[in-house]
Amino acid sequence: MSLVGNEGDITRYRLVVVGDGGVGKSAITIQYFQKLFVTNYDPTIEDSYIQHAVIDNELCILDVLDTAGQEEYSAMREQYMRSGDGFLIVYSVTDTQSFTHVVDFYNQVLRKFQKTLLLFSLRESFPVLLVANKVDLLHSRKISEEKGKETANTLGVEYIETSAKEPPLNIDAAFHKIVQIIRNHPVTRGIQQRQRQQQRQRKKLRKMLHCIIS
Amino acid sequence: MCENGISDTSAAYFVIHDWRFGFSSGYKNSLPFFGEEFQFEVPRKFRYLSVYVYDRDRPNKHDRMLGKVAIKREDLQAFHNKDHWFPIRPITLDSEVQGKIHLNVNFERNRNDECIERLRVEIFEACDLTMVNGNCDPFVEICVKFTNGKQETHRTKVKKKTNCPIYNEEFIFLLQKENDKNFRINSIEDVEWSELIVTMFHEVSGNNTIFIGEIKISLLGPQQQIHAATNAWYYLQPRKKRVTLRAPVSTLSSAVVDENCIGTLRLKIQYFVDHILPSSNYAKFKELVLISPNVQPVTSSVVYLLGEIIPCKADVAHCLVRILLQHNQFVPMIRSLAVWEISKVTDANTIFRGNTLVSKLMDDAMRFVGLTYLHETLRPSIERILTERKPCEIDPSRVKDKAVIHQNLYNLKIYVEDIFKAITSSALQCPSVMCQLFHDLKEIAVLFFPDNKEIRYSVISGFIFLRFFAPAILGPKLFGLTTEQIDTQTNRTLTLISKTIQSLGNVVCAKTVSCKEEYMASMYQTFYNDTHVTAVRQFLEIISASSVPVHSASDKPVLLKEGILMKRSQNRNRFRKKQFKQRYFKLTTENLSYSKYKGKEILCQIPLSDILTIERVNYESFKKNNMLQIIQPNRILYVQASNCVEEKEWSDLLTKMCSSNDKRLAEYHSGAYIRGIWLCCKSRIENCIGCTKVTKTTVGVYTNNIDTDRELSRLHTLTFSHMDRIENVLRVCKCQAAYNNDRHLLPTSVIEDVQSVMITLTSLRNYSYNIEQEQRSVLRTIARETKYGSKHAPIGDDNYLLMAGRLESVTLRKQF
Repeated sequence: MSLVGNEGDITRYRLVVVGDGGVGKSAITIQYFQKLFVTNYDPTIEDSYIQHAVIDNELCILDVLDTAGQEEYSAMREQYMRSGDGFLIVYSVTDTQSFTHVVDFYNQVLRKFQKTLLLFSLRESFPVLLVANKVDLLHSRKISEEKGKETANTLGVEYIETSAKEPPLNIDAAFHKIVQIIRNHPVTRGIQQRQRQQQRQRKKLRKMLHCIIS
Repeated sequence: MCENGISDTSAAYFVIHDWRFGFSSGYKNSLPFFGEEFQFEVPRKFRYLSVYVYDRDRPNKHDRMLGKVAIKREDLQAFHNKDHWFPIRPITLDSEVQGKIHLNVNFERNRNDECIERLRVEIFEACDLTMVNGNCDPFVEICVKFTNGKQETHRTKVKKKTNCPIYNEEFIFLLQKENDKNFRINSIEDVEWSELIVTMFHEVSGNNTIFIGEIKISLLGPQQQIHAATNAWYYLQPRKKRVTLRAPVSTLSSAVVDENCIGTLRLKIQYFVDHILPSSNYAKFKELVLISPNVQPVTSSVVYLLGEIIPCKADVAHCLVRILLQHNQFVPMIRSLAVWEISKVTDANTIFRGNTLVSKLMDDAMRFVGLTYLHETLRPSIERILTERKPCEIDPSRVKDKAVIHQNLYNLKIYVEDIFKAITSSALQCPSVMCQLFHDLKEIAVLFFPDNKEIRYSVISGFIFLRFFAPAILGPKLFGLTTEQIDTQTNRTLTLISKTIQSLGNVVCAKTVSCKEEYMASMYQTFYNDTHVTAVRQFLEIISASSVPVHSASDKPVLLKEGILMKRSQNRNRFRKKQFKQRYFKLTTENLSYSKYKGKEILCQIPLSDILTIERVNYESFKKNNMLQIIQPNRILYVQASNCVEEKEWSDLLTKMCSSNDKRLAEYHSGAYIRGIWLCCKSRIENCIGCTKVTKTTVGVYTNNIDTDRELSRLHTLTFSHMDRIENVLRVCKCQAAYNNDRHLLPTSVIEDVQSVMITLTSLRNYSYNIEQEQRSVLRTIARETKYGSKHAPIGDDNYLLMAGRLESVTLRKQF
C-alpha cells in the first residue's frame, strides 16, 4: 500500500486535478504554484508540480498532477487515478456539461478506493473535493451554489467555490482543504497509525536487542 | 444477409482494466494495471468469451498460463458497459472443454423375448473439439452403467488430425432382464439401465489419452429413457460439476470469496448483438437521421436529441458518424451543430474544448476517416521511438543523476522534431472529409468571433492536435500504431512528446509562451521560433483550405509555397507571341502571384476563388514535360515545373486549395487550344466544355466498409433500450406545450422549439417500435424453426430455451 508516501519526516501528498476540458484545472493549479493567472489557453495533456507547503503547522510535500479534460484521454485516466491520494474534481459554473460530468469523474475515483476500502472494511467518505471554478463570472453563471452543494452532499464530498483569476479566490484554501481531508480520512489515519505502531515495535525490539548485547 | 431475412453479428469490445492475484505474493507486481482495449467481431454462435492470463518469464521468454476468465454468451448482456471484477480460474482439462457431438440413442425391446433389452448408440460425428498442443486425434468411449454397479465400455476408432471427426459407428448394449428364476436367487433386485456416458479423448501416443469432453445421459426409469432416446447434437461438458458464474460479481470481495479462484480480473465489456433486418425496414428511420442537418432549429433534429437523451454518447456517435458519412451528410450536420454550439459559447478561448456532441462526433469521425492518414504520418516516428528506447526524462525531480538531463533533452528534441516534421508535412495527405470539416469549422468560428485573430487556428488545432495526434502519440496502442508492450520509460517519453506536440500545435494561437512546468521551458524555447510557427500555420491553413479566404483584410495571408516555374504568356496581349518565361511564383492562402525574381514587385495576382481547377497538360500540346494548367474563368495559365516532384507538389497543393471552390470545374481539356483547335478533342470552339473529367480528390475511400443497415440497427437498439428517457422528454414537452411554461423545466437538454421536438421524437418512437416489432417477429420465427438438439441448438446449454423464453416474456408496450 502506498497511500501517502513518507520522505524522511515529511509527508508527501499526491493530488490529482480532474474535470472536463476548459474548466480551469490548469489555471487553478498554476495560480496555486506560481501565483499567476494564465490568460492564454493551452490544453493540458499531463503536467505535474511539486512544492513544499505548510498546512496546519505541518510541513508536507504537495505533488499535484494536472490532467487532460478531453474524453480522448480517458483511457489514460485510470492510470493516474490509481496514483492519487486526493482528488479535486473541478467544474466550471458557466458550463452545464462540465457539471454533469462531475458524477462520472467521481465514479472513477470511487473505483480506485474500492480496493483500499475493502482492506479496511470502511464505507466512509473519499478524499475528494468538489471545486466550482470561475465564480467571478457572475453574469454567465449557470450552476448555482445550491446546486453545487446539493451534488456535493449526494456524493458525500466537500464543496468549495474558487476563481483563479486575479484576485484569486479560495485557491490556496482548496489545496489546503483537500490535504486536511486526506489527513482526517480514516484510511490514511489507519495507515499512519499502523506505521507508528510498527515503528514503536521496532524501537522496542531494538531496545531488547540492546539489552541482550550489553 | 441470411435467407431468413436476418443476419446476426456480434461485436465484443472489452477493456482489460486491472487484475490482481487475490492476496498471493511472489509476483513482482501483484496488482498490475493494463488499461488496454480490444475490439473484435465474433461469430454468431459462441459459448464463452474467455480471457487468458499469462505470466511472462522474462529471461526464458516463456509464457506460463495462469488462468482464465470465462463468461458465457448469455451472461455477456448483463455485463455490458460495466466494470466488473471477474474471478480468474485455473486452467485444467475440464475448463477447456468445447465442441459438440452428434449421436443417436435408441432402445429396442424384443417383443418375443422380454428379458433382453437392447440399447443402440450411434455415434455420427463431432465438431469444434479442443486442440491439445495444436493436435487432435479424437476417439469416443461409450460407457453404459447399470444399477448394479456394473458397466460396459466400447470405443470408436481414432480419427487422426481432425477436430471435426466423422465416425458413423454403432454400438449395441444388452441388458439381461433377470426374469429367470434361476438368477433371481443371486440378485436381490432387478438390474436396470443407469447412465450413458459418452467421453471424448485425444490419443497422444500408444495408450496415453487426454480427456477432451464428455456428456452424461441419465437412463434411469422409463421417463428418462424416452427423453434420452433421440437423435441429437449435444454440447460436450467438463467432467466435474459445471462451474458457472453465479451472480454478476461486482465487488472484489465477492470475487475473492469464490472458491478455487486464483485471482480476479477487472474487465469492462461492451457486447453488441446486431440483428439486421432487410434495408426496407430502416428506410424511414434512416430518412429521419439524414434530414437532421436541415432541421431548424438543430436542437429539434434527431441527431441532436439522440446525443442528448441517450447517456452513452460514444455509442450514438459511432453509429451516427458512419450513417451520415455514407450519405455525405456528415459535414453539413457538423456545421449545423457547430453553429449552435458556438452561439452558446461566451469565451472564445474554450471553444470546443469541453466534451460535447460536436467534439464526440468529430473525434469518432477523425478516427474513422483519418486512421490510415494517422498511421502513414506517425508510424515511422513511433516505431523509431519504440525500438531505440532512448531515455528522455527531463524533469529534475524524476531523475537520480542530474547530469543525464542534458543528454535526455537532446534525445527528446530529436524525437519531437521528427514527429513535428512528419505531421506538418502531411497536410496534403489529410483526408478530404477532414479538410472540409476543418474548413467549415474555421468559417463558423471566424464568423462568430471576427475580432479574434487566433481563432481560425485554435479551432482546428483543438481537433487535429489535441484530439487526434496528441492522444495517438500518448497511447499508440489504442490507435493501432503498435502492438508491442510499452514500458514505463517509453510511456513517459511518449507523454513528453505528446505534451510538446500539443503545445506546438497550439503555438499559433498562444499570445505568450506558456510556462506551465519549469523544466519544459527549455524544450519550448527550442521550438517556439518562426520556422516552427510558420510550419504549423501552413499546415493548419492547408488542411482547412478554402478558395474564399475567410480572414479579414488586416490579417496577413500565410505563404504556403514559393518557387520558380516556367510560364507561358497569358492571352492578355493578343498580338504578342506567346513565349515561355521564368517567373517566381508564390502561393498564399489568398492568391497565386508571380514576379520576375524573388522580392521583385508582383506582376500578376490570381485570387484563389478564380482558380477553377488545376490539371496536367499532355506532352503533345507543347512538347514539354511537367506542364500544368491553372484554369481561370477567362483564360488558362500554363506553367512548367522544373521536375516531376515539383510538379506534383504544386498540383496537389493547388488542388487542395481550390477543392472547396463552388465554381470548381467538372471537365477540362487535357490538351491546349493552339491555332484555333483544342489538341485533345479537336473542337474548334475555344470556350466549349472540357472533354476530360477532372481528377477526383480522394473521397469515398472509407465508405466501402460501412454497413448502413447495421449501424441503423444498432442505433435502433440504443434508441429502444432508452425508450423510457424518450418518453420522459415527450411527457415534459407535452406539459410545456399545454401550459406554455418557460423552457428551463426540461431535464438535461436544451429544447428550443417544443413542437418540432415532439414531432421528431414521436416519429422516432414510432419507427423504433416498428423495427422492434419486425425484429421480434423474425426472431420468433427463427426460434420456432430451431429444433432443440439440432446442430445449431445442441442439448446441454440453455441458450435455446432462453432465446425463446426471452422473446415471450417481453411484450411490446406499445402506446400511441
